[in-house]
Amino acid sequence: MKNEKITSFLKSLFAGDIRQDIIFPFPQQDKEETENLQMILQAWQEFARDNVDPVEIDKNAEIPKEVLDGMKEIGLFGLPVSDEYEGAGVSKTSYCRVFEEICRYDSGIAVMFGAHASIGTNGIVLFGTESQKAKYLPKLASGEYIAAFALTEPGAGSDAAGITTTAVLNENKTAFILNGSKIWISNGGYAQLATVFAKTIVHQNGEDKEKITAFIVELDSAGVSRGKPEHKLGIRGSNTTSLNFDNVEVPVDNLLGPMGKGFLVAMETLNTGRLGLAAGCIGGMKELLQQANQYAQSREQFGKSLDKFELIQDKIAYIASETYATESIVYLTTGLQDRGGVDVSLESAICKIVGSEAVWDASDEVLQIAGGLGYSTEYPYERFLRDARIHRIFEGTNEILRMFVALSGIQGPGEYLKNVGKALRNPIKGFGLLTGFAAHKVKDTITIDHLKNICPELKNEAEQFDKLSARLAALTENVLMKYGKKIIYKQFILQRIANMVINLFGMAAVISRVDTRVKQGKSIEHDLPLAKLYCNMAASRVRREARYVTRNHDKQRTQISEMICENGKYPIDMLLDK
Amino acid sequence: MKIAILLKQVPVKDATLELSGDNTWIDEDDVQFEINDSDHYGLAEALNIAKANDGEVTVVTMGPDRVKDSIKQALAKGAHKAIHIDDEEMSSTDPLTRAKVIAEAIKDENFDLILSGLQSDDFGYGQTGVLIAEILGMPHATLVVETEILEGKIKVKRELEGGWFQNAELPLPALLSIQSGLTDIPYATIKGIMMAKKKPVAEVDADDLGVDLDTGAFKLQKIYTPVKSKETVVLDGDADSIVSQLIDKLKNEAKVL
Repeated sequence: MKNEKITSFLKSLFAGDIRQDIIFPFPQQDKEETENLQMILQAWQEFARDNVDPVEIDKNAEIPKEVLDGMKEIGLFGLPVSDEYEGAGVSKTSYCRVFEEICRYDSGIAVMFGAHASIGTNGIVLFGTESQKAKYLPKLASGEYIAAFALTEPGAGSDAAGITTTAVLNENKTAFILNGSKIWISNGGYAQLATVFAKTIVHQNGEDKEKITAFIVELDSAGVSRGKPEHKLGIRGSNTTSLNFDNVEVPVDNLLGPMGKGFLVAMETLNTGRLGLAAGCIGGMKELLQQANQYAQSREQFGKSLDKFELIQDKIAYIASETYATESIVYLTTGLQDRGGVDVSLESAICKIVGSEAVWDASDEVLQIAGGLGYSTEYPYERFLRDARIHRIFEGTNEILRMFVALSGIQGPGEYLKNVGKALRNPIKGFGLLTGFAAHKVKDTITIDHLKNICPELKNEAEQFDKLSARLAALTENVLMKYGKKIIYKQFILQRIANMVINLFGMAAVISRVDTRVKQGKSIEHDLPLAKLYCNMAASRVRREARYVTRNHDKQRTQISEMICENGKYPIDMLLDK
Repeated sequence: MKIAILLKQVPVKDATLELSGDNTWIDEDDVQFEINDSDHYGLAEALNIAKANDGEVTVVTMGPDRVKDSIKQALAKGAHKAIHIDDEEMSSTDPLTRAKVIAEAIKDENFDLILSGLQSDDFGYGQTGVLIAEILGMPHATLVVETEILEGKIKVKRELEGGWFQNAELPLPALLSIQSGLTDIPYATIKGIMMAKKKPVAEVDADDLGVDLDTGAFKLQKIYTPVKSKETVVLDGDADSIVSQLIDKLKNEAKVL
């Protein structure tokens, strides 16, 4: 059953529909956009080569003023802003490619920049009124204002709905009075503007309800105070503080998006942020690969250089193929976002998961290649590792994003099955649905959807993708039947479903990328080995996860965890216990 | 005030170079090109002078189609317009012929000031600018480290050898080659990049200028890769003697001190 209304590749995939039309051909930028991008990259590279010293930035835990000023001068702060508001007016794809290059030079700068551009400014770009845009975007684009995004609180991290900051309309109805505290705010020490989320009372259906609302807050307002910069493991150049609001007056004009829709504002803004973050991870991986190569080729043991040993080749090949896959999913997703009309919330969450885990693995493996040297602070490897670690945590931990991916994905089939249940109670009225359901079931068990007209070079990989996608759809339906609404508590299962989708998306993006190049008559000499290795690794990961959905040791895991938590420690002393 | 900056495109510094089939130039097929390093300083000085004197900077570049990238970059960095002297053949031509072609192409522009970098990273002759000044009959100064525009003339400070400087005044129009490393080189800005494509680039075909391309001062007959030879010298003696031997060798043999 094709559901043309769903304009999300991955949400359709959960129902067994391979919406090839959405992701083929792989999105391309036009010539002018590409030329502009090349020149922006070059401007940044020239500037960074001359002015950015990541060792000093890490040591001093500060980005020098000249670097910030230089970036403003080049116009980088205006990258997410359209030219109408004096920004650069570039595509999401170009934005992410520049972000990639910024992260390649220094992760602290990238985090400062991402907090400003990706999440600090984007809320206003996406939800601002005309007058809010006219008032703030030109200043944000020039860098006169640096922006921040303030959602997390001491008591509300992944559970964003648990925030306790409040905004109450004053008697004159001219301003909201903001009270509360936010923590881990990137750029918190010097940002002039922040998107702040607070609980508000919203009248709905005749009753008062407490709902989250987003506000644009000028941080030089009376009552705003900033905490001391946090001492962090990595991304030390970026500035992270708490923000405290004590009876801060926020004019009603600074309401961002509709009252009570703050959660939506946060999620949409983070969708974009996650893509930038994932692109930054690609930059990190490319840099790591270059460093690993240089070292592996120059270091000799047993009479030959390290790169001639299979165990080192294994690491280099793994990092390279993960880089290729991350690049494929990120620029597929930004391409879809640029084209518009497609829901990419799952896709961008997956980009963040894949990028952050790949760059972490890469920094770990490259440090391993460097051996003892890797552990020394005289060399950059340990800094890469420290810098890479945060990506799995911020802008949504990978754990919460996996739950988001799985639950949003199965929601479609879940709704469908719920309707089928209703239809069964009223078979005449629900006849259409039931025939659809029957067709759906038949398709699951007998036929599967296919990627069509794929280049012969990736025919096998495409077939694997088809089979494994069908398996995802079948498993989704099985777990829904088995657990019903309770599925939301079955995190072991949800994680496996998420992992299946993550790898399937990687395969689909890689296949689309290579296939599109073949059809354009471009060389795939470099692409093919990377694509094939990735697809085969991804396919075996999908098969493994699928197997574990039904055959697993989840009960033991829960039991062990409970045992440890009850004891408060490891409960055995092997040699001393009687 | 009309200022020209002579800007050359050369292979990127870390390019792997292969010789062309006839051994008179490199095989350009897989080579990336960039703005000649010294010329960045010429461009920076041109932009600074223009800014202070309400001037207009024209980029003058000779070469095949690929040089348009460098022209665009210079425009993105703030130059106002450009002249592209299109030629497919002259990558390894001698400086006099090049100077004749460029002089012919720009003589009617009546520039008040023509700037160049110190020398090019590929051949490094350091002559083209000076020769153009000679052909156009204007004074020139090389290795310029400071400039100041006065009424109808320009005051320059030149770097001489041994830490000496020369101060001189030249009547305008004049040609200067700018010493590298002293001016902050400009970076392209995103606004500049977006505006660059709207700036005028005049196309001139080198073949149409009526300059005889076969009457150069010299002709490059052959280029070749130096034969690699490896020699290790072990310096003996106590620490002081080794140090003085080393200094002597660095000074007189390696000539790096």
